[in-house]
Amino acid sequence: MAQENRGVWIFSELPSLAFELLGKGRVLADRLGAELAAVSVETDGGAEAYIQHGADRVFLMSSPTLSTFQVDSYTDAMTALVNEHRPDVLLIGGTRNGLEFAPRLAERLKTGCITEATRFELDAEKNFVLMERITYGGNLVEIQISKSKPQIATVAKGLCSPLPADPSRKGEVEKVEPKIKPPTTNVLETKQKSAKSVRLADAPVIVAFGRGVRKKEDMAVIEEFAQTVGAAVGCSRPIAEDLHWLPEDQYVGLSGQKVSPKLYFACGISGQIQHLTGIRNSRIIVAINNDPKAPIFEFSDYAVVGDLYQVIPALADAIKELSRV
Amino acid sequence: MNVIVLVKQVFQSADLKIDRSTKTLVTQGVSRVISETDKNAIEEAVRIKEKHGGKVTAVSMGPREAKEALREALAMGADEACLLADSRFGGSDSHATANVLAAALTKIIDYDLILCGAYSEDLFSFQVGPRLAEICNLPQITYATKITLEGTKVIAERDLENERQVVEGRLPCLISVMREINEPRLPTLMAIMAASKKPMNTWTAADLGLGEDELGFNGALVEILQSTAVVGGRKRIMLQGEPGEAAAELVKALVQEGVLKAS
Repeated sequence: MAQENRGVWIFSELPSLAFELLGKGRVLADRLGAELAAVSVETDGGAEAYIQHGADRVFLMSSPTLSTFQVDSYTDAMTALVNEHRPDVLLIGGTRNGLEFAPRLAERLKTGCITEATRFELDAEKNFVLMERITYGGNLVEIQISKSKPQIATVAKGLCSPLPADPSRKGEVEKVEPKIKPPTTNVLETKQKSAKSVRLADAPVIVAFGRGVRKKEDMAVIEEFAQTVGAAVGCSRPIAEDLHWLPEDQYVGLSGQKVSPKLYFACGISGQIQHLTGIRNSRIIVAINNDPKAPIFEFSDYAVVGDLYQVIPALADAIKELSRV
Repeated sequence: MNVIVLVKQVFQSADLKIDRSTKTLVTQGVSRVISETDKNAIEEAVRIKEKHGGKVTAVSMGPREAKEALREALAMGADEACLLADSRFGGSDSHATANVLAAALTKIIDYDLILCGAYSEDLFSFQVGPRLAEICNLPQITYATKITLEGTKVIAERDLENERQVVEGRLPCLISVMREINEPRLPTLMAIMAASKKPMNTWTAADLGLGEDELGFNGALVEILQSTAVVGGRKRIMLQGEPGEAAAELVKALVQEGVLKAS
């Protein structure tokens, strides 16, 4: 190789996710003895915040076309930057934007990309980052490497912890003015989704239910329990798509909301791959189901085989009891 | 309006089992189906043809069995199908797959729009669409939940995490679709019978003029070093007893985990 690729870079159009990536990137950069850089756009402001959260360098891209995320413009800008500085590793925030951007960029750079990576380790020679990725809805764990550089990966929200901000950290800010071709698509309109669905994605505790709830009126059992534990309410796909008991943006799953709470209650949810993919970043999963063979039990930390109509009120009582002592 | 729709055949996910002793996924005897969002892409392609005229060509890279998926696409209303099958395609990652598909597109030449599912049901990489669009130097519109065509103008609604975006683009382009976009039709018996008479081409690496370094293991940019079935990834602690007892045990455990606090 003519010139060795060096340095760990992170990018996300979502600043909170960029901070999480910096936490992960810092560990990798330290092990590689390399610099950690954040790529950001000027309109985001806050280059200092990136430095405080672990970046040694911030590339601040300045261009009016970059003020809203658009895959062509970001691919143009990032390609130029990567070709100039040749980073070794590039972690991209796994938002929907990030997930359409990373493979397009990787293809332009003719390099490998590992989407939705869940764990990173270095090989013995520190040449490659071994990346773990989960397929088949959580049934298979694969260890993959990119054979070419930069090694690109996307990382989902909630998977790594940001470092606490350290105001004394020093770093460099480098302004860049990338050449960008006019974008091929224009955004005509943006409609915000309901506040409830947004809250669900960020909720620390979620109570979700599926077909095990037999009637629409019985949702009250779930809602009451959610209130007791201070949780947001979600559901499985059939509840929203087939029965319409809750709006479609409140179902949890691959094509619905991907969630990463610290505690997830799956009540009367059988555990189709579609659903499991949406909850796999949860820290603790509790499953309540009357079918002992339900696939959800394979993917839960705590399981209660039983009638949710009895178990949930009992659970609510036990939690209220907790506050009493 | 000529539409190419990309189809991936996957194992019926609900029927997959794990062999706990060998830590492998058991695929033997598991039926194969069209990956769910690809089915929506076929439906959308056929609806576009019904409205604007033209032709729908379904393309799939995969084993011989993938012919079944293509036949289903034909029964749903596609006019022609191309199976890209060659033992040398084995080991292709998303880059090599996009290479093979791109080579097929150069052979088909005449198209205005490429449709595909936003993700495949088995691997969820979200990569092949954007990579193919890049190779073909086409604009991409991802996660579409609605597509409207006016001449060469495309208006699409996109589903992002917290918002729905309406975007405008131009043909030719690649659009990946979400499940919400439509309800795929169930082909009638007549349509299934008619499908067997529609053209089905099979192209190999040689037909596509692809070299060894563009496909399969050699063409892949990502290497899978290890693949293990998840056994015991979660704690799987069963709480026994009456609802009251189980609930009390559970609450105790959740407090110890630090995920539940007294309010």
